[in-house]
Amino acid sequence: MVIAIGFEGSANKLGIGIVKDGVVLSNPRHTYITPPGQGFLPKDTARHHREHALSVLKQALDEAQISPEDIDVICYTKGPGMGAPLVSTALVARTVAQLWKKPIVAVNHCIGHIEMGRLITGAQNPTVLYVSGGNTQVIAYSERCYRIFGETIDIAVGNCLDRFARVLKLSNDPSPGYNIEQLAKKGSKFLEMPYVVKGMDVSFSGLLSYIEEKALRLLESGEYSAEDLCFSLQETVFAMLIEITERAMAHCGSQEVLIVGGVGCNKRLQEMMEIMAKERGATLYATDERFCIDNGAMIAQAGWEMFRTGVTTPLEETSCTQRFRTDEVEVTWRS
Amino acid sequence: MASCLSADLEIPFPSAREAEIALGTLSVDKEPKRGGVQRTLKVSDQILHVHFEAQEARTLRVSINSFFEHVNLVCKTMQSFGPPR
Repeated sequence: MVIAIGFEGSANKLGIGIVKDGVVLSNPRHTYITPPGQGFLPKDTARHHREHALSVLKQALDEAQISPEDIDVICYTKGPGMGAPLVSTALVARTVAQLWKKPIVAVNHCIGHIEMGRLITGAQNPTVLYVSGGNTQVIAYSERCYRIFGETIDIAVGNCLDRFARVLKLSNDPSPGYNIEQLAKKGSKFLEMPYVVKGMDVSFSGLLSYIEEKALRLLESGEYSAEDLCFSLQETVFAMLIEITERAMAHCGSQEVLIVGGVGCNKRLQEMMEIMAKERGATLYATDERFCIDNGAMIAQAGWEMFRTGVTTPLEETSCTQRFRTDEVEVTWRS
Repeated sequence: MASCLSADLEIPFPSAREAEIALGTLSVDKEPKRGGVQRTLKVSDQILHVHFEAQEARTLRVSINSFFEHVNLVCKTMQSFGPPR
């Protein structure tokens, strides 16, 4: 029996989760929500994490009904993500590890998403679409490595959606992407916009500039409604993602596809992926917002897998790094 | 080029062990390379000694401010989840 606690703070969510042999005992999270029209900046986000880390940690222990002695390993997000928020969260993880005399495991954030998705859905060897505010990757496992088949060459899909939400001054509560999704349901008039797939990669920055430049004029003239624009944007970017995911599946001969990351809880994306999967005779695996959106349990789960195979990180190496690619990690826990 | 500005902090902890924990936590993150600030940490008895060196007052101030934010979080963590076992 191994109990792992995970600390996640790479973006605007501060999450601490406890996992005991594949069972999530607790997974509280606190999100830094900015006013409409504003994104979250590293300094303010780090302050948010410092302010909430201790109460969220207490909540995680209380809900799991365990005491610090019961914990076997402390896991934290090493990267990728925003530097200052990562460090603020890691400081707490390092301090409690020393207070409680527990080993530490440094976890790659993307690997956390993949392992949590596999745990919750039971997918065995899926092609993974990892879509969030900071990352957009199509990943498949091979030879002890999560290999990146395709990715964004500029901004992440979630960043594109978030920034369009700022143009429309949509609320960031619970998340800008959620509010775009709700508006998109009521949209019907499709606006054609740049569809940028380059081989296995996608690009969203040109598309974002295009819609940022046009949106207000189209709305003022009454030609398109905010709902129509959200609908058109979603349809376009999701179609791009489905295209590269399908190509990766064809390449790998994969019969499973897993969607992880914050954008992964978008129902329309899941629906489009389901259609593609069905046509190929494959199965779609997806999770809801508790596990799709950044959380502590996913870091605990990935760390639990690593710890099980004997991986630990010496204290002096528990630094954080803004850039940390998914394929840099040796996957010791899969055959 | 020799550093022209320096600052020293002495932060007392309830025990030497707690000072060592703070040292362990805070010495992991290096100062940004381009910031031009050098920071050294050491513990004697229950006091954490921090020495900063920099060329510019601005970078020195930023570095000390950030250090205080970090040390404050470490202290609060120890108060809430200590004492050390």
